[in-house]
Amino acid sequence: MNIAQNKNILIFLLASIGLIVFPHIANIPISFFIFFYFLLGWRFISIWKPTWLPNKLLVFLLTALGIALYYSEFQGIFGRDAGTRLFITALGLKLMEIKTGRDLYLITYLAFIVAASQFLYEQSLLMGAYILFVSCVLLATLVTINSSKPEALVALKTAGLIIVQSLPMAVILFVFVPRLEAPKWALFNEPRQTKMGLPDSMEPGSISDLGMSDELVFRVKFKGALPPPRQRYWRGPVLSYTDGKKWSQVSNMRFGRYLDKLVLKGQPYQYTLLMEPQNRPWVFALDMPAEFSQTLRRNAHYQLITQENPNIRAEYSLTSYTDYNTGYLTRTELKDTTQLPSPPSSKIDQLVKQLHGFDSPQEQFIQQLLNHFRKEDFHYTLTPPLMEENPIETFLFETRRGFCSHYAAAFVYLMRAAHIPARVVTGYQGGELNQTGDFLEIRQADAHAWAEVWLEHKGWVRFDPTAAIAPERIERGIDTDQLVPGGAISYAPTSAAAQEALNWLKQTRQLWSTIDYKWQRWVINYDNKNQASFLSSLGIADIKTMVYWMVGTIAAITALLSWILLYQKQKTIDPIMRTYNRFCKKLAKRGLIRGNSEGAKDFAARANQTLPEHASTINHITALFIKLRYGKNARPEDLALFNRRVGKFKI
Amino acid sequence: MNIPSLKKRLQLSRFFSGEKTIVTPITLNQRRVFILPTHRGLNFALLTALLLLIAFVYNNNLIYLLAFLLSSVFFITILHTYRSLAGLVLQEGQAKAVFAGEAAGFDIHINNPLTIDRQYLHIVLEEGQYLSVKALSNVTVTLYSATQKRGWHTAGTVTLSSTYPLGLFRAWSPIRFNLKTLVYPKPSALELPFPEVPSEQAQQGFSLKEGDEFHGLKSYEPGDPIKHIYWKAFAKGQGLFSKQFGGENSAQIWLDYNYAPGHDTEERLSQMCRWVIDAERLGLAFGFSLPGLKLPPDSGLLHTRKCLEALALF
Repeated sequence: MNIAQNKNILIFLLASIGLIVFPHIANIPISFFIFFYFLLGWRFISIWKPTWLPNKLLVFLLTALGIALYYSEFQGIFGRDAGTRLFITALGLKLMEIKTGRDLYLITYLAFIVAASQFLYEQSLLMGAYILFVSCVLLATLVTINSSKPEALVALKTAGLIIVQSLPMAVILFVFVPRLEAPKWALFNEPRQTKMGLPDSMEPGSISDLGMSDELVFRVKFKGALPPPRQRYWRGPVLSYTDGKKWSQVSNMRFGRYLDKLVLKGQPYQYTLLMEPQNRPWVFALDMPAEFSQTLRRNAHYQLITQENPNIRAEYSLTSYTDYNTGYLTRTELKDTTQLPSPPSSKIDQLVKQLHGFDSPQEQFIQQLLNHFRKEDFHYTLTPPLMEENPIETFLFETRRGFCSHYAAAFVYLMRAAHIPARVVTGYQGGELNQTGDFLEIRQADAHAWAEVWLEHKGWVRFDPTAAIAPERIERGIDTDQLVPGGAISYAPTSAAAQEALNWLKQTRQLWSTIDYKWQRWVINYDNKNQASFLSSLGIADIKTMVYWMVGTIAAITALLSWILLYQKQKTIDPIMRTYNRFCKKLAKRGLIRGNSEGAKDFAARANQTLPEHASTINHITALFIKLRYGKNARPEDLALFNRRVGKFKI
Repeated sequence: MNIPSLKKRLQLSRFFSGEKTIVTPITLNQRRVFILPTHRGLNFALLTALLLLIAFVYNNNLIYLLAFLLSSVFFITILHTYRSLAGLVLQEGQAKAVFAGEAAGFDIHINNPLTIDRQYLHIVLEEGQYLSVKALSNVTVTLYSATQKRGWHTAGTVTLSSTYPLGLFRAWSPIRFNLKTLVYPKPSALELPFPEVPSEQAQQGFSLKEGDEFHGLKSYEPGDPIKHIYWKAFAKGQGLFSKQFGGENSAQIWLDYNYAPGHDTEERLSQMCRWVIDAERLGLAFGFSLPGLKLPPDSGLLHTRKCLEALALF
């Protein structure tokens, strides 16, 4: 019978193909999706109604329709989207024309390519597991094609077994096969859905509701101890220029080369930072980054900028010092960081005067200002009132409600009013410690703005006015678990039971994010750099040792598998026969080979003639064998005795 | 079993026609089973290469992983395919003699001594057939080989192969059994009367026709025609007896090569064969004469077979 018409095989193949294409629903235009599933459904029904299959003309028309569809959404011949669509359309059309076993194979191979294309869109652990399962079903289809009686369950079991046996070798190949850096062909640069990162300017007065998401921005794993929470400032863009409402970066960064030498003190923190894809080349290092890889550069604002595509998840090895001195102030910096759109109003002047801004040392004034925030009726809220006109004054003297940006902006403004160089620094603060994985997760909700003031002999020094008003924001961070559903910040637990449930939820989430972190770090991001560092940790430095290792482990796995697959057979024969065969083998050494049709008794008689000195043993063993194999009342002790006698039998 | 030398092992002919004929049974082991990828397997390797290329271009580790997984599957399938043949024990069975032009059937017993099912084995002599052998069981297949000439017919190499489980590799084992059978001459299509042999021979005591006259009973011997069995005596429980006909006056046939019509030896033998079959079918006793061989008149299967063998090997 033609295997291409076997119902079981077809059902299996079509079902697995339906599974493979399904996750593409989010990635291809819906018209392709419908076209494909229409063809699949048609083919499925045709299993029972073969006359419904399209004839040649209809297949031709369908192909034309497919091509038309492809051109209507034309996106070039190469590239991810175009390729995926092409393969899916081809797969759908090929389904209508299954004539021989060869077609079944072609379809299966196409399906593998479509399965792989899934990874170009999503690389999560769940997707990996799903594609693994689907590959198993596809292999099972091949098993059914090569079986006498296609049975779904048996085929799945066989395919699953083959996959399980292949996995160790695949992992070894994954670890050892050198990763080459592919040339960055513009052709394949796909626009990605990047998450909204930190903006490059801030306008606190125009925001009345700080939208906060728990979207992951980056993860940090420290080599040694973690810095204390109040030191966890992740430096982003520095905003020096203001028009009174909006704060933004200065474009002129050429003063970088005139900067004083950075003096680093205290304990270095070594860590790896795994940035999620984003649309700006900012790398949020712990303040102050000192050592970083070649692909990064530190700009004049001490912010790390990557030269690679930030759209791709990347990992960086960094070293930071929380204790540092930036030295003298350049002229450009002085100009930039004392800039004000217009002379401060009299109200502001009066406030500065009241806080002794003009007649006391700078640090004293800063303390006075922070005390002012603390003692006066200032509040920290994520939903402040709008301040369209004169946002600084409105905030300082009227509303007195705001979040970090409001405080940082007002603080810097007052510093500049007192002729002290100051600037706003944005970035992230804090991060949640994942207990299971021992790494920090920094989410979008951890976005923060603080101030930097230049002090004589100390350089740029960080001051966080938000810490003065809401120290728990700095010490504990925002509890995103509670933030997301309610929308408001809450620092206090509601009830014990609720807390316990939340803790449990939190633990589960932490466990999952640990697994996800490891997946991202060790699987998705296993590039040539990570590979080199991992292999050198195993003591593999050059390519030759690597090849030895790879070949060696693969040979070991092959040997083990061969043993499992091929050697087990001896164990499985009838135990009586096995022992008797052993007995025969021993006699065969003396040239006594039992003929095919020679009975045990005849053989024993012949053996006795050649080996009269062993006659009694041979007879006993033969008698036991006959009793065990053909006798009615053989007991388990007989088998044990039989085994023993054969074991001791020596000639 | 002697192990072949390295030179013998590397001979190309081993791959196609198998090793020298060896006394059966034959256990399939690593020396007898060969494996190569099929076309589909090569395409699978191509697929893996394509996936690797995609992984390289997009720097996508999961596609790398999938490609590596598929290459491992490819590799491990070698072991699985080998396992689908390894350990099977093959033994040749009986072969029946045939007339030239018929297909000779050879029985092959396949024994599976292991606990794994053997799926979708393909066994080929001249035409192939598919079979499966369940764990710890035996299967007998009959393979046919077309015959053309009388005499000893030797069938070629039997090839047992399997592409289980994925069809990416084909494991095969060419086995040269000692498949031999005797081929009788093709019986002539002409229905000629039995030859009339001149009287010198008749004077020797044999007449041309078998008499219908009942002559007596003799105890049954294997080969006596069934219709000559004296069933009445058997029904009474007196044992098996054969009725004998003929006697002085009863006619007997004498099949003589010299009197067989035909242009050449083969045609004559063919005619002789026809007569022998006809005589056997009619249950007649007949004498048989070839140059250099003379068989006294007799009847029965044994006698017929002796005659046919003589014809086949003449």
